[in-house]
Amino acid sequence: MDAKLSNQSVLTWFLQRITGLFLGFFLITHINVHHLLHDITTKGLISFESVSENLASSTFWKLYYFLFVPMVVYHALNGLWQIIADFRLSGGAALTIKILLWVLGIVLVVIGAMTLNNLFGGA
Amino acid sequence: MTSKKQLGGVVEDAELNKNVGNFSYWVHRITGVGLAVYLLMHTFVLSSAISGPESFSSRMQDVQSPLFAILEILLLAGVFYHMLNGLRVTLVDFFGWTRHHKLFLIVVAVLFVILMIVAIVLQIPKFDIGNYGVGG
Repeated sequence: MDAKLSNQSVLTWFLQRITGLFLGFFLITHINVHHLLHDITTKGLISFESVSENLASSTFWKLYYFLFVPMVVYHALNGLWQIIADFRLSGGAALTIKILLWVLGIVLVVIGAMTLNNLFGGA
Repeated sequence: MTSKKQLGGVVEDAELNKNVGNFSYWVHRITGVGLAVYLLMHTFVLSSAISGPESFSSRMQDVQSPLFAILEILLLAGVFYHMLNGLRVTLVDFFGWTRHHKLFLIVVAVLFVILMIVAIVLQIPKFDIGNYGVGG
C-alpha cells in the first residue's frame, strides 16, 4: 500500500469503544428514567419541576450526568472525526476540522454543564 | 489497493461488497451521524434551563406532542441499533471474534426487534399527549 487508508489513530479507535461501552449503560438508564418510564398519563408532561424533582435529591444523578455529558460529546464528535478521517484529507484540512470539532465539543460540554447546574437547583 | 476516487470509491465498495458486514457498517455510520445531530437538538432544547424554569418548561411543552412521540420511535430505533451493533463491533474487535460476527449480527437483530416492540408499546400512550396536563 502506497498511501494511508485513513487518518484515524489507534487512540481514537480505542477511546470510541471505551466511551461507547459506558454510553450503553448510561443510555439504557437515561431513556428509562426520562423518556419511557415517566408515565405522562399519571404524572403529566415533563417540566422543569418534574425533572429537578427526579435529579436534585441525589449525588448519584449529579455524578452520572456530569460524566455522561462529556462522554456522549466525545463519542459523537470522535465518531464524526472517524468518518471524516476515512476521506484522507490533507494535513491542513484535517487539522482545521479537528480544531472546529474540539471547539464545538468544549462549547457543548459547557452548555451541558450550565444546563445541568440549573436543573440540579442552580448555584 | 488505494482507489483514487474517494466518495466514488465508497459507492464502489458498497456495490462490490454486498455482505451483511458492509450493510451493518453503513447503517452504523448513518445512525451515528443522525444521533450526533440529535445530540445538538437535544442540547438546544434542554439548554433553555439556563434561562430559568419557565423557559425550560415551555420549550419542553413544545416537544411533547404526538408528532414528537412518533419521531422519538425513530430516535429509539437509531439508538438501539447503534448501541447493539456498537457492542458487537467492540466485542469482535477486543476479543478477535471476527469469524462469529455474522452470528452476533443475528443476535443484534433479535434484540433490536425486542427492544423496539417494548419501545413502541411504551410510546403509544404518548400519541394522546394533548389530553394530559403539565405535571409537577
